[in-house]
Amino acid sequence: MLRQKGFNAFILVGGLAAWRKAGQPLESVPREDLVKLPTFS
Amino acid sequence: MDFPAWMIESSSWIPGFHRAARWTRAPILVSLAKRMTELASLISRHGYIIVATIVFAESIGLPFPAALSLVTGGAAVAAHLLRAPILLPFALGAMLTGDTLLFFAGRRSGWRLLGFLCKVSANPETCILRSAESFYKRGKMTLVLAKFIPGVNTMGPPLAGSMRMHYGQFLRFDVMGATLYVLAYFTLGFLGRDFFKVIGNTFQTAGHAMGDVVIVGVVVYIGYRFWLMRKNRVYNVVPRVLVEEVVKKLASEEATRVLVVDVRSHGYYDPDAARIKGSIRIEPNNLDEEIKRLSKEKDVYLYCT
Repeated sequence: MLRQKGFNAFILVGGLAAWRKAGQPLESVPREDLVKLPTFS
Repeated sequence: MDFPAWMIESSSWIPGFHRAARWTRAPILVSLAKRMTELASLISRHGYIIVATIVFAESIGLPFPAALSLVTGGAAVAAHLLRAPILLPFALGAMLTGDTLLFFAGRRSGWRLLGFLCKVSANPETCILRSAESFYKRGKMTLVLAKFIPGVNTMGPPLAGSMRMHYGQFLRFDVMGATLYVLAYFTLGFLGRDFFKVIGNTFQTAGHAMGDVVIVGVVVYIGYRFWLMRKNRVYNVVPRVLVEEVVKKLASEEATRVLVVDVRSHGYYDPDAARIKGSIRIEPNNLDEEIKRLSKEKDVYLYCT
């Protein structure tokens, strides 16, 4: 879909797991980006 | 408990079952009859404790045949070997104890439990959100009906716990579900001494029809897999790059033209979640809106788990 809309998009093979395995730097997900799932309370 | 030896040894108080198994020669019925015999012998000797233990074991997710033990218990009550006013509260109490344990385990483990269960899903990226929303909308009814669905029956209590349902509310719906389940299988055993003969009859009559259904099912499945394969070809046109290539680009002068984008849904529910340093997140279920934040001047590298 991104390609259809003119973006030069690529897929990172292995995703986050491959990045982590390669020892590349990570960071914590910012608190405001965390998704709040529904709760009953 | 003192029962006549013939009852313990031959379990002939469930005769219809054995006749049906022999008569139809259906392997499933023969196997069930053998299990019923073993269970009947155990239940005759140890009665209520055995039924309660099996029901408890299944309710905490262990592979024990709770339904079969309740059916056998029902048949034992019909044969005056056990008493319903004792057996039913025993079984119900065992089930509610198991469910309560899983409820608090879910409350303690939070979303990690659902994340673990979603790993085997066809689409783990959206599994957590969909499961959570579905349970939020239908959770109470799920607690009542899920006990009849193998594999799902142990999901309800930990989900309710992880979603912070009040224990009183959980218990109310769980009591309804457990009562329905226990009574249904107990009644089946109580009324159904010859029930399995009828089942055997039905199997034999419906044997050919079942064969046709299986063939049609296989054809439909192959067709579905073929359709899925064709559909997924679309995605093959998107080029794939290795981690090393992206790292190299990020270390070069081209770094300003690189945008690493996290398209996970899964993984954003855990406060300890990590992502690739410098990446931004877009919500894959809201792509139309999200891509307004992206620049077409940059190469976009997408990643998930």
